Amino acid sequence: QATATDRAVGFGLVAFSLVLFVYYTLWIIVLPFIDSDHSIHHYFLPREYAVIIPVVAGLLLLLFIGVFIMVVMWKSRKPARKSD
Amino acid sequence: MTKLAQWLCALALLGSAWAALALSPAGLQLPEPLRQALLPLPVYLLVSLGCFSLAAVGFRLATFNDCEEAAAELQEHIAMARADLRLRGLR
Repeated sequence: QATATDRAVGFGLVAFSLVLFVYYTLWIIVLPFIDSDHSIHHYFLPREYAVIIPVVAGLLLLLFIGVFIMVVMWKSRKPARKSD
Repeated sequence: MTKLAQWLCALALLGSAWAALALSPAGLQLPEPLRQALLPLPVYLLVSLGCFSLAAVGFRLATFNDCEEAAAELQEHIAMARADLRLRGLR
């Protein structure tokens, strides 16, 4: 049996990604087929954000990864070799 | 054909199919809601791939069982290796 925290975090991740997937699917695929005067549209941002938010998030992720690699490479550079 | 070439071919095929439908060059008239749903499709597929990966990682994290004996045995091995190296003069 995995530890309780492991299980909580793991199933929390599953639930979060499920919610995200359902919301995003509704937003992108279902909403265009619903009349624009239905009240469900109040729960969703304007459609441009459905593209802008993931793209910006992706760029931030790449930025974070790049900075992380930079930091690690900087820390692991060896000082100049002294002669033995 | 290498795997990379296969993936690139599949990607090019799907990409051109999407571009042909979505950018509607020669006046192809799709119903309006369908066009609205089709346009962000690449971003949608990327996001759903990300969601699936997150869910897979979370599920494996939740269902990976602890192995108490293996952990104890590993710590024992580490202690033995440390003692052995100390014997051979490594600090």
